[in-house]
Amino acid sequence: MRLNLPALLFVIPFLTAVALPLIGLFRKHWCWSVALASLSMMHVMSLMAFNHTLEMGPIRYPLGGWLPPIGIEWRLDGFSGLAMVLISLVALVAVVYAGPGVRTTLAHKAAHLYTLVMLLISALTGMVMTADLFNLFVFLEVTALTGYALVAVAGGRAMLAAFRYLILGTIGASFYLLGVGYLYAATGTLNMADLAEKLPGLWGSTAVLTGLVFIIIGLGIKMALVPLHGWLPDAYAHAPEAISPLLASLITKVALVALARIMFWILGPDVIWDEVPVMVYLGWIGAIATLAGAFLALSEQNIRRTFAYGGISHVGLVVMGISLGNLTGFAGGIFYLMTDAVMQLGLFFVAGAMASHYGVREVAEVAHLRGRTPWMTAALIVTALSMVGIPPTGGFFGKWYILMGALEMKNYVAVGVIILGTVLTLAYFVRILEKMFVEGSTVTRQDASDLPWEMRFGMGTVTAGLLLFGIFSDPVISFIRTVAAPPGF
Amino acid sequence: MIQSHDSLVVQTLGRLVIPVIQLYSVYVLFHSQFGPGGGFVGGVLFGASMVLTLLIFGAGHANGLIEQMAFRADGLGLLLFLGVGTLCIFFGELFFDYAALQLPGFDPASRRSFGIVVTQIGVAMDISVVTVLIFFCLSPELEGSWKNELGA
Amino acid sequence: MNWVLETVLRRPNFLAFILLFLFGLHIMVADKHLIRKLIGMYLVQTGLMLFFITQGVKTGSTVPILLTSELPVQPAAYANPIPAALMLTAIVVGVATLGVAFALVISIYRQYQTLEEDELVRKMQ
Repeated sequence: MRLNLPALLFVIPFLTAVALPLIGLFRKHWCWSVALASLSMMHVMSLMAFNHTLEMGPIRYPLGGWLPPIGIEWRLDGFSGLAMVLISLVALVAVVYAGPGVRTTLAHKAAHLYTLVMLLISALTGMVMTADLFNLFVFLEVTALTGYALVAVAGGRAMLAAFRYLILGTIGASFYLLGVGYLYAATGTLNMADLAEKLPGLWGSTAVLTGLVFIIIGLGIKMALVPLHGWLPDAYAHAPEAISPLLASLITKVALVALARIMFWILGPDVIWDEVPVMVYLGWIGAIATLAGAFLALSEQNIRRTFAYGGISHVGLVVMGISLGNLTGFAGGIFYLMTDAVMQLGLFFVAGAMASHYGVREVAEVAHLRGRTPWMTAALIVTALSMVGIPPTGGFFGKWYILMGALEMKNYVAVGVIILGTVLTLAYFVRILEKMFVEGSTVTRQDASDLPWEMRFGMGTVTAGLLLFGIFSDPVISFIRTVAAPPGF
Repeated sequence: MIQSHDSLVVQTLGRLVIPVIQLYSVYVLFHSQFGPGGGFVGGVLFGASMVLTLLIFGAGHANGLIEQMAFRADGLGLLLFLGVGTLCIFFGELFFDYAALQLPGFDPASRRSFGIVVTQIGVAMDISVVTVLIFFCLSPELEGSWKNELGA
Repeated sequence: MNWVLETVLRRPNFLAFILLFLFGLHIMVADKHLIRKLIGMYLVQTGLMLFFITQGVKTGSTVPILLTSELPVQPAAYANPIPAALMLTAIVVGVATLGVAFALVISIYRQYQTLEEDELVRKMQ
């Protein structure tokens, strides 16, 4: 059974997604519990799979028994196992948090909403585990389609935001498919391991280089790398409050994981800085993205848009980290990616609770919340500390390792960008925190009730998770350096 | 309610043509391995024939059988598809390795062929249901009990 | 004239693909009406499918269906079936995207009674 774990990890959320409309016909209020049960089972299995890859090495899983390069292969190694554990845990906490929101505002669509959520999670799983480029395209599109539908559920302005997301997302997927087509025309294979063998002789070929550029553009749109980020602030600001944590924390990060997979496992670390210097250019783009995201967040008045721009800035930081050129930078970048998923989760938990329970959507209204909610305040403080990068939270250690990697490579531009980005993040967080704690007392809302336990559980988990990431950063980083590192580093 | 078409010519032609379309869709589905076709095309053709029935004869035709099927069978075809794949895991082989299905008297090649046909039937079922559902959800005349069924 | 025949018209399928793709991309980005953007999206996807499928064609090749299993198979005589199989999946993905897009467009129209982007942005303020 353990060897079948890659397939089971995909099948469990997908079967739940398919069975939920039928369950919803009979008992609508079971949908949330069924989703939670299947996500917990998936999380336990991802831990088992991770343990298995630690002991016995990667699992190579040919679908249907057809061996690669003819068949489609799925690969569960240290890198994808780590991503799987992250995805299943984050999804579990996000669906727990979504329960009360869906029950109050979207109860009549609950079955279909949870179907979309489970489809999104199963597509993210497939995207992380697959070792075939066209299979990656299919899962990329399923992720995107469920994302469009989930953003549009809120109605009103969310529908236009979802339409713009659809147009840009389809452009991205079309560019990705075009790149895959060029690579297929040049080499004749779609399997990642086979491509890694066949590409080394072909670096002079314009078809291969153009294909790589198109793949990077396509995945760049999907992960909202500046300047291809135009869809993200609108989509995440107008998505329903219960669902936006799940969207904000997972979609762009898994696209980043796919980009890292293609860059480091197909091209290989010995090529991407010399012969095909994509990583050098991606480093510059990442640096620009870090600063641009933080600058754009400074002028925003809507809370969720501010946090969305913060996410864009951190995607740029991770891209800059993995393109530094040494293993420290790569490990720091991946560690920061994992921490950033949890940070975005926490930020959107807080923003959703503020909006749905206290009606606070703009930064200026945050003053109403003083002294009401200890859980939310604690989560906001810890997440803000982590976003800025202050010990002992996980964000500090991620930035620290990227900084160490930059200093090792004598890349002082990256050092400057990280420091400037930290200062800018501090600036826009201080705005929010100052409104909450420092300003002279204004009217506090006496009529709002206490937060439901699911939301408090979610925020508590995020707080604990960020502190744990900080305390246990050394084992995690050394783990990424040994098990989850690409071959050849 | 989608009204039935008033012209007698259209209704008579519909009665003649719709069964032929459905038979053709089943033909395309079952010849997926030896000719162009497969579950997708078969499903779309079958769904198109059902949409044609709705357009010509109106909703509520045949005691609302099409509507009931569309709103209740959402995802059943996918369950069939995945069920066959997961069944292969239970019999010891890999996901979607149809050679593992225990059917007496068949060699592995025929078992794979059988597995492919079953999955394509599942895909066709799902796609035809989805085609009819798209038609219903996009039509402005959706009212009454079907709107509550969908939870719109 | 020779240059045109040698480089540009050497692979007319790629030329057709480029025209379709760029035309559709321009419509998708520049047009203000939502339905016309979807038409552009469909043109982009159709161009991609043309690109892939015409990669599998060889001169003098036949349909990739084995009629007999006794004689040895000559792979050079059959057209490459893999790009066509990939594009079947891509067509289904395109149809699904169009379905979601049309559902969004219908919801927007029912709520705002317009489909021009400028008017929509104005009405949503």
